[in-house]
Amino acid sequence: MSTVINTTDAPRADVQAGPLRAVRGMVKGTSARIGLGILLAFLIIAIFAPWLAPTDVHTATCGVFDAPSPHHWLGCDDGGIDMVSLVLVGSRISLIVGFTATLVAMTLGGTIGLLSGYFGGGTDVVLMRITDYFLVIPDLVLMIVIAAVWGPSLSHVIIVIGILLWTGTARVVRAQVKSIRERTYVKRAQTVGASNARIIFRHVLPQVGPLLIASTVLTVAVAIFDETALAFLGLSDPTAVTWGTIMEHAFDRTAISAGAWWAIVPPGLAVALVIVGCYLVGQAIEDALNPRLKVAYLSPKSWRLRPLVGRGSDAV
Amino acid sequence: MSLLEVRDLNVWFDLPDGGELHAVQGVDLTLHAGQRLGLVGESGSGKTTTGLAMIGLLPSSASVGGEVRLADTELLTLGEKGFNAYRWRDIAMVFQGAMNAFDPVKKIGSQIFEAMDYHGVASGNAARTRVHELLGLVGMPTNAADKYPHEMSGGMRQRAAIAMALSCEPKVLIADEPTTALDVMVQAQILQLLTRLCDDLGLSMILVTHDLAVVAQACDTGAVMYAGQIVEIGPMEALYHEPDHPYTRALFAATPDLYGDHPVASIAGSPPHLNRPIVGCAFRDRCPDAIEVCVRERPVPQVMAVGHLAACHRAGEIARPAS
Amino acid sequence: MRSGDYVLKRAGFAVATVFIALSINFLLFRVLPGDAASNISRVPGASPQLRQALEAQFGLDKPIWQQYLLYLKELAHGNLGVSFANQQPVWTNLSEALRNTLPMVLTGTVIAIVLGIATGVLSAVRRGTAADSMSTNLAIAFYAFPTQFIGAMLLIMFAGIFPAAGMSDPFASNASTMSHITDLSKHLFLPVLTLVLTLYGENTLIVRSAMLETLGEDQILTARAKGLPRRTIIRRHALRNAMLPTLTMIALSLGAVVTGAILVEVIFSWPGIGSALYEAVLQRDYPMLQGGFLVITVTVITINFFADLLYFRLDPRITS
Repeated sequence: MSTVINTTDAPRADVQAGPLRAVRGMVKGTSARIGLGILLAFLIIAIFAPWLAPTDVHTATCGVFDAPSPHHWLGCDDGGIDMVSLVLVGSRISLIVGFTATLVAMTLGGTIGLLSGYFGGGTDVVLMRITDYFLVIPDLVLMIVIAAVWGPSLSHVIIVIGILLWTGTARVVRAQVKSIRERTYVKRAQTVGASNARIIFRHVLPQVGPLLIASTVLTVAVAIFDETALAFLGLSDPTAVTWGTIMEHAFDRTAISAGAWWAIVPPGLAVALVIVGCYLVGQAIEDALNPRLKVAYLSPKSWRLRPLVGRGSDAV
Repeated sequence: MSLLEVRDLNVWFDLPDGGELHAVQGVDLTLHAGQRLGLVGESGSGKTTTGLAMIGLLPSSASVGGEVRLADTELLTLGEKGFNAYRWRDIAMVFQGAMNAFDPVKKIGSQIFEAMDYHGVASGNAARTRVHELLGLVGMPTNAADKYPHEMSGGMRQRAAIAMALSCEPKVLIADEPTTALDVMVQAQILQLLTRLCDDLGLSMILVTHDLAVVAQACDTGAVMYAGQIVEIGPMEALYHEPDHPYTRALFAATPDLYGDHPVASIAGSPPHLNRPIVGCAFRDRCPDAIEVCVRERPVPQVMAVGHLAACHRAGEIARPAS
Repeated sequence: MRSGDYVLKRAGFAVATVFIALSINFLLFRVLPGDAASNISRVPGASPQLRQALEAQFGLDKPIWQQYLLYLKELAHGNLGVSFANQQPVWTNLSEALRNTLPMVLTGTVIAIVLGIATGVLSAVRRGTAADSMSTNLAIAFYAFPTQFIGAMLLIMFAGIFPAAGMSDPFASNASTMSHITDLSKHLFLPVLTLVLTLYGENTLIVRSAMLETLGEDQILTARAKGLPRRTIIRRHALRNAMLPTLTMIALSLGAVVTGAILVEVIFSWPGIGSALYEAVLQRDYPMLQGGFLVITVTVITINFFADLLYFRLDPRITS
């Protein structure tokens, strides 16, 4: 029935060739391609923002909450600054914060998951207990408290997000490492006397690679979301231009009662687009790694009947 | 009087890159009451697909051609709802890895009860009694009905799956690799059980497997499949002692001999890909006795003896190796 | 393991987590840079007596471990300190705030879960069709929209139709219960809608994924072989099994509920615990911050514990 058999304990061949190349193969479907496109577009925007922006983000070029016009396609914010420029420039720090925080989270989570899954025993128990505690404690509340006490600044925001986002990755990496560790080729390496470090780097890490990449991409989405939340609550650097602070200023200066939707929609949409992009890519990789999702015993369409012409071996 | 007739069954699967996999290519089978037919072949030979087609459980990527006749009713044209009326009541199936065939959150008894209740075969207390009867039939204690699937061993679950398959008194039982993933002792027990049930209940069975020992033990007729076609079909004895198709011979030769008298022969090469039409005989590239006509023409099944057919151009010509 | 063992194990975990939260709470305010520790005693605009009392209460002159024990002792007596802002006991402020939060968050979360399950099952069962794509894409979109964005859009759309802030009409006299309820409902509408739109997307995706996995399990093929109709299979076998991983994942998403609730309360000035936390941040009201963190965290841990118990009841495999 379930003809999906990973009977061999061999490493996944497509991943063995290099986790990055394998991931490239997994990001094949339309939705994944769209996601990738979105992310690349924003990456380019972020890199070239200062040159792409029509005006400077620190000088007012129009009136307060000016509506969209041919001069300012997305209108202006509470300080008379062009929205298009704001959103373009805001992408830089938003993405940097997102990526850096994710880097912190990934390093932490990946290491903990790796150590936990590979060494098992007491290490595993202790690390997993800690992970479980952090999983239950609500993220934003702790972030608020830490950021409030520590003081609002971008580096604080990055660290705060990073030290709370590692839990998901840790769990997922641990599960994979555990299963890889039980495979024959790893045991063989151990009997031959390969050092733990060598086994980890040569055999375990490449196989965990794609999952780690998927987890990273999905975490970036959460990190960017969290930054906007913290900014909204006044805990990010108010002088920095990020999508989160743009929205926070808009709310603060009553954009809504002024009916100035253009002060909120562009940064909000930008955040949403990046998150969608991350989600599509990350999910595509995860789906590719999970063979069980390919089998469906109950689908809306049924098999088709094909009328045969004639009988015998010449009938096709 | 045949119970089940399969005529010219063809199954195609849509491939993701647009092509088609011709998994079953013109299969003809006849099953009589009480007959135990073994469908043997390596992975990818189309045997499981054939079994699934007979109960109409192919995935949505499949296209099916041909006929499956149960008594006088053609089943494939019935559509899903029409087919449902025949499922379990006339044809039942025990699946590969039936250990997972049960719903993990419900008790075994209620799952056996479910089909009977739905098809109106029995209900209420009568059904409950029957559940106990069925469990007894497969050699399980009656308290098994109150257990959850995870509380039973693999062998016990397989028995329970068989009991469940028999709940609506089907005429035909399709067993797809019923003993794979069970250890040898339990395997033998299950096969004995199946044989006994067929004899006692007048049940007909199609046993799909890759394991020759299994068919040898439990079936009276054997059909050997290769590359989506039946290459040889006949009484088990004939197949075993006087195989006429080179593939059948190679299969039997590949079985390790317990006493180690002759070396294990393997068949060089691998089965052809079924995403392209094959010209000539599908086995020709691996056949030690292939001749020129084998490359050009697809062989038609030839009658070797009563009820014994072999699809080979040279059937009957080649001297059989001493067995 | 036996049921008793399981309950004990999960209860132990819950208690341990509460303890960790308490300790983190304590450490943060003593250890982090940013003059938080000294700020506790420098209450803005407080009398010298209050300052002294606070200093004594928090024992800022004593070594850290003594402060910790003092802290635990106070907590055991239900003393969460005194708010800098209104000089009321923190617990009094918070319990009132919590009472305000509950109707909004409960309504929103329940609707989001029900909606998520409905759309998730629909998508999974109709996988590959237009209905699936639409439903899934909509879910992804709402999952991606920041809460403040959704709130802003709704506020602009419904300006004038529904109240934009607060929990009740400040000018309403003590009229009938019915009018109170109507008033509350009107005020609830936008915040709850925002919360639902924030949360339901992730739920849909979770349920869809769980359903798809369940539909690929062998027991579904067996159910079809038995001749059962699709609806029966979905209802009786697939749904029930898919609820298990769904429950786990929804429990894990409690953090998102809290995040959403806090943001919604701030957007709509809903006088709940999220707003209280926000006010505390603005005013650097550290006792309120500490108290708020504690109350919210303990609530989440408790709910998690009950979710564990529920899972235990639903999955017979855990007992063995």
